[in-house]
Amino acid sequence: MTGKRIWMVAILLMAALVLTACPQAAPAQPSGEQPAAEQPAKEEAKEEMAAEEAPAEEAMEGEKEGMMSWEDVDPTGQEITFWHQHSRAREEALQQIVADFNANNEWGITVNAEYQGGYGDIFNKMLNVLNTPDAPNLVVAYQNQAATYQLADALVDMNPLVNSPKWGLSEDELNDFFPAFLKADVFPTFGGARLGWPPNRSMEVMYYNEEWLAELGYDGPPTTPDQFKEMACKAAQQPFSKATAEGSIGYELSIDASRFASWTFAFGGDVFDYEANQYAYNSPEAIAAMEFIQSLFNDGCATVVAERYGDQTDFGNGVTLFTVGSSSGLPFYRGAVEEGANFAWNVDALPHVTPDPVMNLYGASISIPKTTPEKELAAWLFLKYFTSPDVQATWVKASNYFPVRKSVAENLSDYFEENPQYAKAFGLLPYAKTEPPVPGYDFVRDLVREAMAAIADGADIQSTLDQLNQEANDILADQLAQ
Amino acid sequence: MNVREQLTGYLFILPAVTLIAVFGIFPIGYAFYMSMRRWRVVDRGFVGLANYEKALGDWMGALLFAAGFVILLVAYMVWDGLSRNRESNPWLRRGLPWLLVAISLVSIVTGWNRMQAAGDPRFLNTLPVTFYYAIGSVPVQLIVSLVLAYILFQKIRGQEVFRMIFFLPYVTPVIATALVFRTIFSPRETSIANRFLTFIGMDPQKWLFEPRPFLEVMFGIKLQGFLAGPSMALVAIIAFGVWTFVGYNTVIFLAGLGNIPKEVYEAAEIDGANQWQLFRHITVPLLSPVTFYLSLIGIIGTFKAFNHIFVMQEPSARGTVVTTSVFIYNTFFKAAQFGYATTAAILLLGIILFLTFVQTKIFGERVFYG
Repeated sequence: MTGKRIWMVAILLMAALVLTACPQAAPAQPSGEQPAAEQPAKEEAKEEMAAEEAPAEEAMEGEKEGMMSWEDVDPTGQEITFWHQHSRAREEALQQIVADFNANNEWGITVNAEYQGGYGDIFNKMLNVLNTPDAPNLVVAYQNQAATYQLADALVDMNPLVNSPKWGLSEDELNDFFPAFLKADVFPTFGGARLGWPPNRSMEVMYYNEEWLAELGYDGPPTTPDQFKEMACKAAQQPFSKATAEGSIGYELSIDASRFASWTFAFGGDVFDYEANQYAYNSPEAIAAMEFIQSLFNDGCATVVAERYGDQTDFGNGVTLFTVGSSSGLPFYRGAVEEGANFAWNVDALPHVTPDPVMNLYGASISIPKTTPEKELAAWLFLKYFTSPDVQATWVKASNYFPVRKSVAENLSDYFEENPQYAKAFGLLPYAKTEPPVPGYDFVRDLVREAMAAIADGADIQSTLDQLNQEANDILADQLAQ
Repeated sequence: MNVREQLTGYLFILPAVTLIAVFGIFPIGYAFYMSMRRWRVVDRGFVGLANYEKALGDWMGALLFAAGFVILLVAYMVWDGLSRNRESNPWLRRGLPWLLVAISLVSIVTGWNRMQAAGDPRFLNTLPVTFYYAIGSVPVQLIVSLVLAYILFQKIRGQEVFRMIFFLPYVTPVIATALVFRTIFSPRETSIANRFLTFIGMDPQKWLFEPRPFLEVMFGIKLQGFLAGPSMALVAIIAFGVWTFVGYNTVIFLAGLGNIPKEVYEAAEIDGANQWQLFRHITVPLLSPVTFYLSLIGIIGTFKAFNHIFVMQEPSARGTVVTTSVFIYNTFFKAAQFGYATTAAILLLGIILFLTFVQTKIFGERVFYG
């Protein structure tokens, strides 16, 4: 027995020694966890936002001849299902909107709005029911998720519906939508098909502690990266007088692909080259942005968020001077501050090197999975109702998202007054730009997170981003290959 | 046995066979079918072994790698057979197994290097991570739970309460407890794990955010390759796994302890055996069927582990906690590469089957059934 044991131990030791030659499970680049409250979205540049007055029909590109005619379809009496991710107050507001529609629509359409978990949960469920009778008639989807569904030709192109004389929107109505919002759901990779309709949007903004900035001797938020770094580094050395927890952090970075995109935008670049239809994670602007981030860590002015929403908690406790996150988090920040150090705070554009700010706009749209023409039309009619001005006003106030129609914004003056941070963020919409609406972006986002984490840990930026870009483009090529 | 009796027997097992076939065999078969196809959201056709080639990179490398482990097993069996035969040539008895071991090691190293050069590094890197997780979890679980069971088996006050307390982690929803462990192993200096380290005079650590090897971070031991060991982040996840399953193992061990006849202990005590000798020469051998069972399901379970790893993983750990199961999930749901994900799943199944066979072959023979 003893001999056998020695023999076994010897074998194991030898095996271990041999495997020494094998490369370690390297801290390389694999995958990670899914998103936070908000994921990104799609394409297109700030010009569209800046050119708010441009006719919205331009955003309706992709309309093609020979598409299905909806004029003879009768949606009367249809019962449809809507999969969404809204919970608590937002779900209550949505259910009320749905109830009003069900009670008052002239076709007797009944919508059943069902909470199906977070964005990731819905995406996973959808993959199993695409093109089956179990698919819902309406589903919340980020643009990259919609692109993945469309790999199976599973979504309705809404262009003919939008432009239908009988069921669509008038020219005035279309002009009332923010053009960039509409354009975001048009997919060049699918022949200009419109695969989603926007019910709301949000945007990445910089949250800052106004009182702490004043204590540090500054009379306003930073507008350039250099100013940002100076203030963050000073804050790391000089804690906030009203802080309710230990520590003093200049900038708390939540590692996420949207943060990467936001900082790259702020440095005048993009993470996607729309002409080449390729990722551009190793562009000079992206490299500059990551050099800036890495320098913050090297100088002890920034830390990584330790737990989910830890940046909100720390911000509320007066422990961190700056964070960057979704504008839809405004109520949560407000709550954190009120429960925490209770100080004056605000939001602003990310510090930028460009003449104007470049803001990362995102938000899920609602897609119509292919079912029957009657149900598809019924789904569209609910979407049309959901984005009508009165309903939008209700929805915006309940959800804290941005409205998608200009006329709604014009009627929100009271709300703006009550929510100055919301008003400030809303004012940045003309500078918005979006992340790429390509299939496989969820997977790429994981790679970006790991690359970003590596850079924060001091990895070589050029080689890290070169590898990231290569892998991201490989994934994209694989997704688009027939 | 006549035909009628045989038919009756088959009739009795029919429901179980049907269930296993529908929910066990068919999914495996269908996964294998998917692994041979280019399936991204929709089926885009037969691709043969292309997905396997993508994962493993080089067929010869994969064959050499697999053959290396088979030869290692053969070496053990040869040695075992020859050592039973005392009349065999001593040079042959000692030399042949060692020769086989040397061949197997060369085969494993060559095969692995060839796979690394041409295969999918993301998939291949999950294999040592999964191995670390299994080897770091199962032996510790077994030792701790055996000790706990032995203590609880003594007539101590409040035995039932302790038994329940130890079992609680196993029945508590894993997502909830994993989230709690995320807080415990947070990189904040105020986290429980870091407060403990500070208390014993050590520096706070990044735990789940730390991709560097545990040995390097805690003891300054810098080893290369596989011997570098698991990352600090993976060790934190292993701690969670051990904590979760110790209670279950303890309860099973307690059941095993209850089956050992008291007369055996009494006889040994009369012969003058002390407590340690009782434990070493009676308890451990007579518990070997239970130990074997627990180690078997432990290895299978750790190779398939997913939930808590998925919850506790952080991008800052940079892939050092991505096990094969997590890779499969990400490939399936995030990359929507259904065919390739099922390929990884089939490969994982093959690894688990091989390990189960090895365990049964080597350790199963040593189980003492009384």
